[in-house]
Amino acid sequence: MSEAAAAWYAYGVVPASTQPEGTGIGSRPVEVVSEGDVAALVSAVPADEFGEASLRERLEDRAWLERTAREHEDALERALAATAVIPFRLCTVYESRDHLREFLAAHSPALADLLARLDGRIELGVKAYFAEARVETAEPQSGRDYLLRRQRERDAAEEAARFRVECAQASHERLAAAAEEARANPPQPPELSGRTEEMLLNGAYLVRRDDGRLADAVAELESLYGPRGVSYEITGPWPPYNFVPPEVVG
Amino acid sequence: MTQGSRLPAARSGSGPAPAQLADVLERVLDKGIVIAGDIRINLLDIELLTVRIRLLIASADKAKEMGIDWWQGDPFLKRGDRDGSALESRLRRLEERAGLPTEEERSER
Repeated sequence: MSEAAAAWYAYGVVPASTQPEGTGIGSRPVEVVSEGDVAALVSAVPADEFGEASLRERLEDRAWLERTAREHEDALERALAATAVIPFRLCTVYESRDHLREFLAAHSPALADLLARLDGRIELGVKAYFAEARVETAEPQSGRDYLLRRQRERDAAEEAARFRVECAQASHERLAAAAEEARANPPQPPELSGRTEEMLLNGAYLVRRDDGRLADAVAELESLYGPRGVSYEITGPWPPYNFVPPEVVG
Repeated sequence: MTQGSRLPAARSGSGPAPAQLADVLERVLDKGIVIAGDIRINLLDIELLTVRIRLLIASADKAKEMGIDWWQGDPFLKRGDRDGSALESRLRRLEERAGLPTEEERSER
């Protein structure tokens, strides 16, 4: 594992008892660096590839970014299957294990509290998509006919806009009621979602691993809004990315 | 209901397709704890043509247009707001560099 000039890529924090498993960045083995009650999941990576200037360049490389993001995610998901996980943001890199240990020692109580809160929980994503119904009508027979139709179209557009907001909010509230914590993130545009329908809701929900209430809520929403053109998609389980603070407190 | 693309059972062998890249990037680039580390990369400074910028700006603006903005209290998005104008001007530069019509040019059409 100790390559000539190694840096330490850290995926996240787990309880100290966690057994390392599988591979991560660049197919390198995932190891555990523990300090007291907590541990970091890490891989030894080449320091030149993960230096600041080099990273800056590589993060602009779509293929490298995709591969690295998935390797980061996979390493965390593998750990999540067995234990609580505090996910780090992509490309958290230490020059030495000692520095990483110092970080863990300095924040051990806060990290241990957070792990205790996340224990047995997973993040699920729920997205709602809206396919607006297209109304086909015959050619207008008169000017009046045409104006009436224009009016109906305007009314329908306003109604659809109201419905989108109402449905997104009601869906998020219903899902949040079935979760311990909830976040509504900005809906993804079609070029990201890969779907032609409009995304109304892009929510993340923290639930107990064995709790089926979120799936029940989705089924309920689907029967409520499905007839009006809304469909739902559940993703996950994800490490609780949306439910850790942006920085370690304490 | 469309079942999630990747439940645990699906992870080994020939399960459904892996998670959407956008879902993974949205999380690993914008969520998760930020630790200073020894190598300091501010991911906000990274341009990530099309991917990151569109996630942060295009979708947030579009949602706001739709009147969906109840996440405004979210600290991540507040940060997004603070950096919004810088990202927007960067987006414009990138679009110009890539020879794409800018937002303004598109809306003029």
